Amino acid sequence: MLARTAADLYWMGRYLERTEQTALLLRHQLSGLPDTPADELALGWRCIYRTLGQIAPDAPLSADEAEVFLVADAYTLAGTLIEDHTNPDSLISCWRMARENATQLRPQLPLDVWTTLNQGYLWLAECDFPGAWSAGPTGLVSEAIGRLRLLAGVVESSMARDDAWRFLELGRFVERLQHQTTLLSNWEKVGRRGAPGIQLQWADLLRVCAAYELYCRRHTMTVRGREAMNFMLRDPEAPRSLSFVVRSLEALLTGIDPLASRHPLAPPHRMVLRLAATLEAGAGAPLETDETGVETDRAEGELLKRLAADGAALHDLIISAYVAYPIAKGLPR
Amino acid sequence: MEPLEGGVRAGSGAFADYRLEGRFFDELFGADGSPRPACRLLGEALGRVPPDELARIQESVHRRFLHEGITFTVLGKDEVSERIIPIDCVPRIVASAEWQEVEEGIRQRMRAINLFLRDIYHEGRSLRDGVVPAELVLGCPQYRVEMRGVRVPHDVYVAVGGTDVVRSDGEFAVLEDNVRVPSGVSYMLACRAATKRALPELYREHRVREVSEYPERLYSTLASLGSGDESPRVAILTPGRYNSAYYEHAFLAGEMGVDLVEGRDLVMHNATVYARMADGLRRIDVIYRRIDDDYADPVTFRESSVLGAAGLFHAYRAGNVVLANAPGTGVADDKSVYAFMPDIIRYFLHEEPILANVETHLCRDPDGLAFTLDNLPDLVVKEVGGSGGYGMLVGPESTARERSAFAERLRGDPGNFISQPVLPLSRAACFVDGCVQPRHVDLRPFTLHGSREQHVVPGGLCRVALSKGSLVVNSSQGGGCKDLWVLAA
Repeated sequence: MLARTAADLYWMGRYLERTEQTALLLRHQLSGLPDTPADELALGWRCIYRTLGQIAPDAPLSADEAEVFLVADAYTLAGTLIEDHTNPDSLISCWRMARENATQLRPQLPLDVWTTLNQGYLWLAECDFPGAWSAGPTGLVSEAIGRLRLLAGVVESSMARDDAWRFLELGRFVERLQHQTTLLSNWEKVGRRGAPGIQLQWADLLRVCAAYELYCRRHTMTVRGREAMNFMLRDPEAPRSLSFVVRSLEALLTGIDPLASRHPLAPPHRMVLRLAATLEAGAGAPLETDETGVETDRAEGELLKRLAADGAALHDLIISAYVAYPIAKGLPR
Repeated sequence: MEPLEGGVRAGSGAFADYRLEGRFFDELFGADGSPRPACRLLGEALGRVPPDELARIQESVHRRFLHEGITFTVLGKDEVSERIIPIDCVPRIVASAEWQEVEEGIRQRMRAINLFLRDIYHEGRSLRDGVVPAELVLGCPQYRVEMRGVRVPHDVYVAVGGTDVVRSDGEFAVLEDNVRVPSGVSYMLACRAATKRALPELYREHRVREVSEYPERLYSTLASLGSGDESPRVAILTPGRYNSAYYEHAFLAGEMGVDLVEGRDLVMHNATVYARMADGLRRIDVIYRRIDDDYADPVTFRESSVLGAAGLFHAYRAGNVVLANAPGTGVADDKSVYAFMPDIIRYFLHEEPILANVETHLCRDPDGLAFTLDNLPDLVVKEVGGSGGYGMLVGPESTARERSAFAERLRGDPGNFISQPVLPLSRAACFVDGCVQPRHVDLRPFTLHGSREQHVVPGGLCRVALSKGSLVVNSSQGGGCKDLWVLAA
């Protein structure tokens, strides 16, 4: 496969994953509009914006201010993340970028994959956002999630398990690794900054990550912060847990670079093994108490920082190993 | 669609808006208003199907193009836009015997073109013998002096050709030869797929000759030009996704299962072409280039090009890669050289041309220039190296001011222009504005020329001027396309 094609597949996977993550966060946030306390909603917006690497809206200073903020700005805040073409992280921008990559990949993609992606993009591009908002804020985002999952299903059922599929999935899981690391970190940090008694609910984090039901089966309906964090870090079966993501990355890289190939244990592969070791080594650290007296898990905080740094490095290693390698290194022997 | 019992006639019933005009040959109806024999079934079906059903069919083919992203790219001043090719759901039908003439004529023309190209880059007999003025060929911007003496594999300069054929007064004639990077074949295949699905019964009843094997034949053609290796590695070289025909490049690469490379994907090493793959560099043996000579290699041709691959021509000269079509083929589709094509056929093949040329006046000749200037309102004036409907003047549709400005250009650089009469292009049935109406059409059949065999696709891109009265069929100028059904004998 052409190196540029591998890069396009990788980026297509990343953009599709990014689109879905944003949509999942938005769906959760918008579904809480009718009954969630205003200041908790405001915290939710901050967490979403920070996780997406956007400048977070200022936190309201009082409950009254939060109420005004909520009513006046939810539409704007959501619109910025859904239909704003100038925002590179909005759903429409990410979907467009995935489509741009797919346009270059048409020889590699089954027609059904391209058509489903294209139809989804056309649907969103032609969508009347104010009208959709009037009909119910979550409807549009839920439809987007449905279309993204339809696309994932078409990919699953129509693509051969060759390198094209592997690079697509590689992009998806690298994006998920980076996103989940940031989300977990922000959920904990932003949540703690709320007024006394106001914090982001850990059960909601599990719902955003499609892991609530599984958590309840594994533990109990009473969600405890530390357990939830540990679950999202290390559960082997939750598809958005970091452990699951790292294992998926390892399997993909093994497929791309079998051990007997030109690069035995290529640098990206080594990095993924390191990520797996880091995750395992960090389990079971004792809790500590921070300066405000709140019990906190300093070890997990450090772990998330390390994972974030390694996740960013993993991207660079993938690009330098398979896309932008020195020509002399690539000549046939 | 079910056939209608009894006859149908232009100007009545479902064809009430279908007005025949004597000066335009009609593809569906004869001069007496009844369907031509090969079109009887189609005429009856169109007469029977209610307009709302036809509208549904039209919508279904349009939506198929939209969802599958069957597009072409238009480069504007400030932006790049992607447009869906307008497709008309009503097929145009060509009878078997009629097609035979077209096919043989194109086959003859392509053989002559390949011989002509070999000659001008080697012995130059045709130039010495005055078949074509030497200064016309040697002064043509598409003449590549770098190709002199280069051995082209199997002497196939043009492996893929597209010939624009028009029908006026009932006779087919060649309007243009496209032997550089002819495009449109993917739209031909897309039209066929969409129309076949929309009109399955009618398609089956007509015993239409298949075109779907084109990608396979293209691959065999390209592979046959390789250097004896049974499975040479073939790639398509595209200028990139902003090229107007990028959809086609991607489509063909996907259908043939070959890499779609850009110049930046290619690496030259020891006069050999390699593609940068995810797992290292891999040699490329045959390149189907969809990029003009000028941009193919910044070392040999246009220095400022960032689209090509530096050193590509060097590898080609060294015989380490095949380029299809060969560099320098553009001489043969220069619109001035076109005027000499009947003489070229006679000279190289000792045969009379099967397909006629359109009357052409060379503005490089004083008489041709004078005639053109005197008759601008009645002529179409084209740049000799132009394409896509750009840079031309359509006399009857121009204003006095436009003609005056164009006359200045003509006087300033007469050698850059030719003129032709406004052709009464034939008309075919189209579903427009809720009813069946005639619209002007042309046709671009495609030819493949490998090391051993030549193949003319039994079909082609049928372009249609969808605006009433318009004669401009180019997609970049608002034209659309429709399926062409060549009937089996």
